[in-house]
Amino acid sequence: MVLDADVVQLRRGDLDALTALIARYQNRLYRYLLRLVREPAEAEDLFQQSWLRVAEKIRTYDPTRSFDSWLFTVARNLALDHLRRVHPQSLDEPALRGTDSESLADRLPSREILPLDRILESERSGKLAAALSDLPATYREVLSLRFEEEMKLEEIAEVLGAPLSTVKTRLRRSLAQLRGTLESYGFHGDPS
Amino acid sequence: MNAPKEHEKVRSLLSLAASGVLDSAEEMSVESHARNCPECAAELERWQALAGGLRRLPTPQLSPFVLQRSVALVREAQSAADERRATLRILTPLLALSWFSTIFSWPLFKLASGALRVVLGIRVEPDWRVFAFFVVWTWLAAGVAAAMLSSQQRRDRRLA
Repeated sequence: MVLDADVVQLRRGDLDALTALIARYQNRLYRYLLRLVREPAEAEDLFQQSWLRVAEKIRTYDPTRSFDSWLFTVARNLALDHLRRVHPQSLDEPALRGTDSESLADRLPSREILPLDRILESERSGKLAAALSDLPATYREVLSLRFEEEMKLEEIAEVLGAPLSTVKTRLRRSLAQLRGTLESYGFHGDPS
Repeated sequence: MNAPKEHEKVRSLLSLAASGVLDSAEEMSVESHARNCPECAAELERWQALAGGLRRLPTPQLSPFVLQRSVALVREAQSAADERRATLRILTPLLALSWFSTIFSWPLFKLASGALRVVLGIRVEPDWRVFAFFVVWTWLAAGVAAAMLSSQQRRDRRLA
């Protein structure tokens, strides 16, 4: 495995390399944390904690492993601890939607006036994001790692600390539940 | 494998096929079955649409403020850790030297009091209670000084 130059520099204690890594992974890591905890403020806080933990533990990072998997494992452990502490409901249970809670898509930044086709696309994405947000945390994360992070099954298994068969089963169940949720919203066709 | 069994097996693989996580043998079996089974072909299309939708979900953007704050926090934590390490590097040999001095100062004290008596004719009684008092006093004074210094450093860091 070719080791990332910034990771090598960071292992030597170079803080500029850490700054480069934070900038490079900012949106990916934030997106993953947001999918897990669903609250932007909590995701931001966990984002900071993750990088503090990375800086603290970088010397224990095994360079034969993928840095992406290691980083996401660090973030995942912090997020799961947080979820267990703050939301004592089971991680395998569907998320509770409060009346005041806006959907994930509602909170996504929108910076421009959209033409009609983009409005339709945005509406579909909004429904899909809302359905995703309704899934249990364990399902949200496996879908995010596969489809947003585009991780291979082996990498997902490494992040989750689970066997490949478990990851496959979880992926299949999460897709089935997502589809069921979308259908309960009245979406039977192309959700894309 | 008979047709209904194969149909069921392939159907259970369709969502994973759309996710692109099947091995090549499973993928081929899904493909060849879907070519002759319109029901599975349509179902595969639906899963592919769902997978495509997930891939195209908008990426939430982290605010530049959080990014800057994260960098600043990590730098601050790192410099505090560096400082702790540097302090430890200085304090460890000093502590070792202090213990060494404490252990060996009693025999040295006795030796010195004997030398004073021989060379200068001054009689100094090597009383262990006086010696223990001075040792304890010195350690306490050093401890208080270290605590004050460390608290001063923490205050400086907060103000910086």
